Amino acid sequence: MPPKNKKQKEDVQDERFQAIVLTDSFQTRFMPLTSVKPRCLLPLANVPLIEYTLEFLAKAGVNEVHLMCSAHAEQVQQYIESSKWSSHDSPFNVYTIMSLESRSVGDAMRDLDNRGLISGDFLLVSGDVVTNIDFSKVMNFHKFKKQQDKDHIITMVLTPASPLHRTRSHVDPATFILDKKTSRCLFYQGIPPVDGKKASINVDPELFEDVEDEIAIRNDLIDCHVDICTPHVPQIFQENFDYQYLRNDFVKGVVTTDLVKKTIYAYISDDSSEYAARVESWATYDAISQDVLARWCYPLVPDSNLIEGTSYTYESKHIYKEEKVVLAQSCKIGSCTSIGANSSVGEGSIIKKSVIGRNCKIGKNVTISNSYVWDGAIIEDNTEVNHTIVASNAHIGSSVTLNPGTVIGFNVKIGNNRQIAHNSRISEIPIDNNDGDSFGDSFESDEDDDDEDENMPSTPTVPHFEVQDIDLVGEDGVGFLYVSDKDFDDESESEAGDQYSGIIYQMKSLNVSDDSIASISNRNKSRKHSRKHSKSRRLSTTSMVSTDYDGEVYSEEEEDFIQEATATVDRSLENNHDLDTAMLELNTLRMSMNANYHDVREATTESLLKQVLKFITTGTLTPQLATKKIFERWGPMYERQIFEPEDGTDLLNILEEKIVKIDKSYNQVVLCFAIQTLYDVALSEETILGWWNSTKDTVNDNIKEVRTLTEKFITWLETAEEESEEESDEDSD
Amino acid sequence: MSSTTISPEILSLIDPVVSGLKRHQIVGDKVIALAICHLLMKVISAARWTNPYDLINIIRKVGTILHTAYPRKIITGNIVRRVLAIIRDEIETENSNNDNTPMMSSMFSLLSTNSNTSHKVQHNQSKKQSSDFRSVVIEGIRDLIDEIANVNEGIETMSVDLIHDNEILLTPTPTSETVLQFLIKARAKRKFTVLVTESFPNDINTAHNFVKKLADHKIETILIPDTTVFAVMSRVGKVIIGSSAVFANGGCISNSGVAHVVECAKEHKTPVFALAGLFKLSPLYPFNGDDLIEVGNSGKVLNYDDFKFVENVELVTNPLDNYIPPEHIDIYITNVGGFAPSFIYRIVLDNYKTEDNKLE
Repeated sequence: MPPKNKKQKEDVQDERFQAIVLTDSFQTRFMPLTSVKPRCLLPLANVPLIEYTLEFLAKAGVNEVHLMCSAHAEQVQQYIESSKWSSHDSPFNVYTIMSLESRSVGDAMRDLDNRGLISGDFLLVSGDVVTNIDFSKVMNFHKFKKQQDKDHIITMVLTPASPLHRTRSHVDPATFILDKKTSRCLFYQGIPPVDGKKASINVDPELFEDVEDEIAIRNDLIDCHVDICTPHVPQIFQENFDYQYLRNDFVKGVVTTDLVKKTIYAYISDDSSEYAARVESWATYDAISQDVLARWCYPLVPDSNLIEGTSYTYESKHIYKEEKVVLAQSCKIGSCTSIGANSSVGEGSIIKKSVIGRNCKIGKNVTISNSYVWDGAIIEDNTEVNHTIVASNAHIGSSVTLNPGTVIGFNVKIGNNRQIAHNSRISEIPIDNNDGDSFGDSFESDEDDDDEDENMPSTPTVPHFEVQDIDLVGEDGVGFLYVSDKDFDDESESEAGDQYSGIIYQMKSLNVSDDSIASISNRNKSRKHSRKHSKSRRLSTTSMVSTDYDGEVYSEEEEDFIQEATATVDRSLENNHDLDTAMLELNTLRMSMNANYHDVREATTESLLKQVLKFITTGTLTPQLATKKIFERWGPMYERQIFEPEDGTDLLNILEEKIVKIDKSYNQVVLCFAIQTLYDVALSEETILGWWNSTKDTVNDNIKEVRTLTEKFITWLETAEEESEEESDEDSD
Repeated sequence: MSSTTISPEILSLIDPVVSGLKRHQIVGDKVIALAICHLLMKVISAARWTNPYDLINIIRKVGTILHTAYPRKIITGNIVRRVLAIIRDEIETENSNNDNTPMMSSMFSLLSTNSNTSHKVQHNQSKKQSSDFRSVVIEGIRDLIDEIANVNEGIETMSVDLIHDNEILLTPTPTSETVLQFLIKARAKRKFTVLVTESFPNDINTAHNFVKKLADHKIETILIPDTTVFAVMSRVGKVIIGSSAVFANGGCISNSGVAHVVECAKEHKTPVFALAGLFKLSPLYPFNGDDLIEVGNSGKVLNYDDFKFVENVELVTNPLDNYIPPEHIDIYITNVGGFAPSFIYRIVLDNYKTEDNKLE
């Protein structure tokens, strides 16, 4: 009889259960450390982060794990190959997928779809999740909902926590609106960081039309990015090629548009002993480390020795020690501390709420509090380390003070008697922000995020600079200050948030960069641009997330949208997509860029006319036929762009405006036939006549010329209308 | 001794159990005990040895691995030691059959185990002998499995003698299946009332189920908050506790909260009965309380979403077990009879070999 492994058996379904782990965060928040090591291999309480995720998957009864690697893919692959997970008795098969081109979650999902690996419902997690939730409950919930609702595609796992909870993400906090009865997710909105400023969300009431009971608006959930997805999810990513993020694009897109007609449910854990969080910033790194030490996510605790070869034992007051730790008689080890093997602590040193790695040497009279000292670091006598991360093999001289928020990179050496300012981040070799490619991963990025940096000293004027800093690291030191240009964002506003973050979150100030590499798209550049134009940065950031339309700030974004939309329509024309696909693409683009319908119409018109001209100039078709052909085939696109009579007028204006500009020899024909065809497919007579009459008096010569042919059509229309007034009334709505 | 290494196929047998223990997927003392028995049975059939002492070394190694997987579960070590005792007994009988030496060695061997083993290392078994030996040991483990599987029956039979009509009992360990069966069995002939503590926070749901099961068997059952134990103690006739491990000194490990219940019982001179299957007896001594007590999820004590608290409290700790010193227990009821705590060491000696107290 085999040993009982009940839980596993329950979860394993008839088919294999797959999990996709996104090992890359597509973010730069952990720079400069992530320039050397991928985030998922950074140690949390002396255990690489990915172990927590894999442990969770093992417990969840997954039988196949695919790791999507992009940044530092080889390192991840190497690690996995040498770990227990790839041995033959591992609870699941691990495959690493090199998805080197992926620059966002969306890319990774599309890559996944192209590879066709997904066979059924799968678990999607990022490689930095720490959780002990009982997965069988989530799975049952998912199955139950799927039975009830065929359109169900994602179950999100959320745990409740107060809005300002330390483990809750402060970089992208989010509001969920849920149907209270069915816990269907109706709306999702990332809100700007809570920093004492007012953040608002705008919700379309239509979304709640089919809610029977009550809705719950929740801003108190920890979203650890553990989702059960159906195979539709990668497909939807494929269809919406502009989706970058799982939450901000995908979830929001799916719940707010009725195009996809899919539903998303949220599983909210109700058991106080269930813990779920994601290490996605220094603040959460700090919080989760403390949680692991304080046994909030039991049984994921140091003394369960997740990785082989560790020997942590528990002592009361949450102190964990490995074998061969040498502690001087007079040193004091406070609560919530973990010390790795072969580390030594000198006389009179005090360590509390900290993690010390293996082979570390802590000198005499050193004070270490709330800090994380990784393997092999050396800290000499009389040094003070507070709220700091000291990466592997760093060397801190004697009588140094590391002020809160400091990150000492791998192999950095700090000379004696240095004072390291708040929030300095020091790396061994200089890292140029703009040249991220040399590291082959995801830390180049365009800056358009709204991170607060409360404790920064007054703003340096140049965002990019490197200092081979003798002032900084001392004469015999090795290290460069790493400066992300994001550090200087929102400087002026940070004071308000100070009192809140200063006490509670020393580490919070370490939150720096935010956006993904994928943001090097035009629109983000323009956004950044427009933001610089606007006087108040806050204004732009909030309007970015609200659905308000602010013409001024957006002017450049609009242009951009038109470009992109035109390109989209062009593509559809070229590839001869069907009408629905084209409209869907256009619409998603519109929503993702928050453009208005005027722009959409303009883009469509532009693109259609371009096509018409192509036919004419190449001589394939006569102007008449070309116009007819294109507008007949693609004119129906306007149907979804015109809602009011004014919209029609607007369209005709755009059309005319554009046609005036083309070659005089045939522009009359084009205008006439375009309007005629549109009359057949999209516009009512009333609209056309209305437009004609309203603009008749104001036209200039140029336009008059263009209109000569059209005039005849209009006269015909007018007479036709008189004949059949009733019908046209019906049509006119 | 440490020269023996464990072959990869044996390692692959152990690994699922080790990860099961680490992930707490194998839960419940009896389940763990049975899982270890089955594992050792497989190990013994897979292992290659020429000398029975090699087998002992292999089992000791396996025992060490299992122990480190979940150091606070005493049961794993108990089972490994029981199996080692079976093997040693078998060697002894085999030797006495072979050399027919007079029994003078009993006292002697006690004092000089080392010379004894080194002498026996020379003694290699033939193939046939070793396969016979293997089957005898496996037979021994089968008996052990039977004993563990039927442990409750042995304990139950004593219930009628110990419980009187119209008596009020109190149990602070609603997680114990043994206690449940004990009470249900007694109900067949006696009519009594049981007070059950709620066991907040770790076992509160189990406590509710426990009460329901008792009530289903027509036992008058009252669920009381943990805090009222002292107040009701004057009315209680007996306290019945389950235990997860019993040490050679007569102390035991039980659920958290039990320590204060037995303290109250002592104050009121109420007798305390501890129920324990034979397999829970351990040859170890509880030298360091810290090493024995599992500390569980802090979230059960303090709700994690209460941020103000979580942030400002220096330490939140949730011990899952209590150590009960021998002077707080009046009698142990095992499947081989009732014993005073001071007599436990004798039962331990009967079932374990002192050589194996330390596995490393």
